[in-house]
Amino acid sequence: MTRKKVTLAYIASDSARKATFKKRKKGLIKKVSELSTLCGIEACAVIYSPYDTEPEAWPSAACARRTIARFRHMPEMDQSKRMVNQQAFLRQRIGKVEDQLKKQRRDNREKEVTGLMYRALTGSGGGSSALRGLSLLDLNDLGWVVEKTLREVNERIKSLSNCLPPQPPPPGMMGNAGSNGGGSKSDVCLLQESVMDAPGMDGVQNLQQQWYMELLKQSEGLMGFNRFGGSSYNSGHEMTMIHHPPPPPQASLPPYSCPGQSLPPWTANFFFPS
Amino acid sequence: MAKKPSLGRQKIAIAKIPKKNHLQVTFSKRRSGLFKKASELCTLCGVEIGILVFSPANKVFSFGHPEVDSILDRFLASKGARSDGGGSTHNSGTRQLFEAHRSASIQELNMILTQVTEQLEVDKRRGEGLDKATRSGVGGGGHPRQFWWESPVEEMNGMEELEQLRSSLEELKMHIVGQSTRLMMDASRSFMAPFLGLEYTARNDHGDQFDRKPDLDQVNNAAALVQYLSFPQENGLF
Repeated sequence: MTRKKVTLAYIASDSARKATFKKRKKGLIKKVSELSTLCGIEACAVIYSPYDTEPEAWPSAACARRTIARFRHMPEMDQSKRMVNQQAFLRQRIGKVEDQLKKQRRDNREKEVTGLMYRALTGSGGGSSALRGLSLLDLNDLGWVVEKTLREVNERIKSLSNCLPPQPPPPGMMGNAGSNGGGSKSDVCLLQESVMDAPGMDGVQNLQQQWYMELLKQSEGLMGFNRFGGSSYNSGHEMTMIHHPPPPPQASLPPYSCPGQSLPPWTANFFFPS
Repeated sequence: MAKKPSLGRQKIAIAKIPKKNHLQVTFSKRRSGLFKKASELCTLCGVEIGILVFSPANKVFSFGHPEVDSILDRFLASKGARSDGGGSTHNSGTRQLFEAHRSASIQELNMILTQVTEQLEVDKRRGEGLDKATRSGVGGGGHPRQFWWESPVEEMNGMEELEQLRSSLEELKMHIVGQSTRLMMDASRSFMAPFLGLEYTARNDHGDQFDRKPDLDQVNNAAALVQYLSFPQENGLF
């Protein structure tokens, strides 16, 4: 079976057209037959062509007539509801392909921007210089992806914490939680572990909530956008591709966002219509 | 290695499908494919076809070129003998015009379908290219060797690494906010300047001053964003 690409247009050459007709008619009949058998349903096909004086009918002229009679006995609405001619059918197909295209483009864009995010995470310590050449649209999509990844990370952290085996907490850990100011990473980790030691599920939930609240309260005091202006502005318009080893632990926790503060709406409806 | 998306082409016995779900899905797909083949046959060879299909749920699907009804009438009227097609009340002239118009629009639709399908192939290949790039660690444009944080989050197990990742992401988010705000202010300034009779000069990345014409794209984006920002957000972000 040759797999040449065929243009969807009337075949000019008479011989080619006739040959194609014979093959495809055979294939079409086969397909109707299979459909009927596989799904146990009634069907018929009628083909008029310049090559035959009589129309070709499947399964047979008589059977086809019976099927047509059954069709015609149905209410008008049921008949026409799923009736298509060439134009209608082609429009349907075009619509389907257009939907696939939209989805594919959206996926591609997400992949592209995710790559951008990875580069931003490695380049020049994530400074603003990495974002210089980007348009508002790029920035918005980038923010969307960052936000999405953040949610996944938080989910993962949460699910991992829920599975951690209980460990004896270092003495006095809980008491230090509130007064721990900016807190270092290790403190945060330990705090999580000690949370797990509380008896019973309810106890755990409460403590976790408490931990989150503590953290949020801490961050309010830390609100200070002091991270800008520190990096150099000399990298030009391109995303820097300096690769560093994984980013070192931050000296101070970046301010965590509280719900209720005004944050840029990563307009998922606007720039990134989903 | 990514999981295979589907089982692919499998040989199937031509007998009634036992499982109801399977049957329904098969019906749906095959019916669609059948109509597609019929449509192609009509276009390629200039023939007239009518197909009737009853669904497992007792609904009827029909395809007809030029029209289902005209084909069926034609068939019923003549006992298989070739006739000129029943029900033609138009005179030859109008009919020809009608047919010519119809085939022209079918031709156009076929062309559009071909174009859109090609476009889909292009974008699919692009997507595969992007996939390959990230998998081989070329990260969509140049940096080698996948870093640990590029693998899917679901597979990460190191708490410390996760938290590290989180803070880096938060920091990046802040930078993005800053940069966006800066751009928006820039754009709105350049937009307003002529109206306010101000001289607007911008600094490019090298710190030089130059006169800049307002970038319409930026302005439009900025204006839209500003408008959006002034509405109160329900839960802050989404």
